[in-house]
Amino acid sequence: MTLSEHAQTNREIWAENAAEFREPGKRNWAQPDITWGIWHLPESEIGALPVLEGKDVVELGCGTAYISSWLVRRGANVVGVDLSPEQLATARELQAEHRIEFPLIEASAEDVPLPAASFDLVISEYGASIWADPYLWIPEAARLLRPGGELVFLTNGLILELAWSVESERVGETLVYDYFGFHRLEDPKDGAIVFQLPYGEWIRLFRANGLEVEDLIELQPPEGADPGRWDFVSNEWARKWPSEEIWKARKPA
Amino acid sequence: MSSSDLTSQARTNREFWNRQADEYQAEHGEHIGRPEPRWGLWQIRESELRILGDVGGKDVLEFGCGAAQWSVLLAQQGARMVGIDNSERQLEHARTAMAEAGVEFQLVHASAESLPLPDASFDVVFADHGANRFADPLLWVPEVSRLLRVGGFAAFSGGTPFEWIGWNSETDTWDGGLHRPYFGMHRSETPEGSVEFELPYGAWIRLFRRNSLEVEELREIQAPEDAVTTYRTDEENAWARRWPMEQIWKVRKL
Repeated sequence: MTLSEHAQTNREIWAENAAEFREPGKRNWAQPDITWGIWHLPESEIGALPVLEGKDVVELGCGTAYISSWLVRRGANVVGVDLSPEQLATARELQAEHRIEFPLIEASAEDVPLPAASFDLVISEYGASIWADPYLWIPEAARLLRPGGELVFLTNGLILELAWSVESERVGETLVYDYFGFHRLEDPKDGAIVFQLPYGEWIRLFRANGLEVEDLIELQPPEGADPGRWDFVSNEWARKWPSEEIWKARKPA
Repeated sequence: MSSSDLTSQARTNREFWNRQADEYQAEHGEHIGRPEPRWGLWQIRESELRILGDVGGKDVLEFGCGAAQWSVLLAQQGARMVGIDNSERQLEHARTAMAEAGVEFQLVHASAESLPLPDASFDVVFADHGANRFADPLLWVPEVSRLLRVGGFAAFSGGTPFEWIGWNSETDTWDGGLHRPYFGMHRSETPEGSVEFELPYGAWIRLFRRNSLEVEELREIQAPEDAVTTYRTDEENAWARRWPMEQIWKVRKL
């Protein structure tokens, strides 16, 4: 496996972070409903996913693979891909505990060792969608999709990223980073590298890879919803501006 | 169309533009009256942006044409132009410009929310800060879709969601703060007395797709380093170097 420099960095960071994600992973695996993001907004209300029964799905940056486990339980054939062996070890434990088996592959979403045109759905939730370089993983997602297949991914709200305060580690109400040229953000504390693009740049990237833009769902939590451990954003902020957004693109049939 | 058939924003904006047209053309006429097609606040050349491409021989609708600076130039390039505008006074300026340039094409006085033009009659519908800003997208996007032939496209420049959320109503400027919510963005009454519209990115995408328009491009315009404009102050241009104050959507009829 050859990794880009940032993938190597992020892999090392996840080796340390993985332990902290065991308990949340456990809770998510035990959850019956499909939900999105830090506000746990139910898929039954968001409606971002196609019919899953019998579909071939790959999750890019699956972490503890709770999303994959939800999709498997709805009849999908899922492969989970993650570059962190520690995260995948948690995923395997939880597979054994829940007696739900599906393939897990250690790889970067920027270079996936799976054949072209072999999936109906490529999904990512805070996975490749933030940790991998879009200019590398979107072409991979497009390659993995069959004609008619869909790419669905959740990422940080772009406005949230631009209004991020490094000092307080919270989102503020002032734009800090420039929009034009926004691409890669390095955490000054642990060196983690995350990615996000301007809206028009996502659209250009999808289309350059033969994908049609289907939807952009900006997520708004209900009043009073609690982000739990993810206290970098308040309910009040997230009621006004999108803290998370889901892009949907389709490979034409 | 009698004014009683107009929506409240179409009535308000008709009165606004009838009142403002002379002053607007006096203030901006020279800036936007260039010898070649240029877009938007900073008058960036179409030959650089290449949004419309070659319009020769095409049926083209300028959607909120004002004094028809664009339409006159495109007619000279061989487009079969029609210009619509909601303001009689703006169209009088357009007629003067046409006479001066020696070109003839149809001008229609109507609100973009309900146009007296036949289905599938245009290859291109475009606006440069035109009706797309002053009419309700929930009404004009279906109209644009209806007017386009299959395979035709629409392109329109206007404001942005960032312009909306970043506007400080107390100081009437942009200072880098987030001042207005993103969710619920739609209709805004300006201090000048017009009604303007903007939508969240996702709402635009859904609206296009519901109306059989495929999203081709969202071109976000960064203010040029040496920005010259009669529309914005130096401070606002500096803001627009960092965050988008102008964008051009391009969508194609399926």
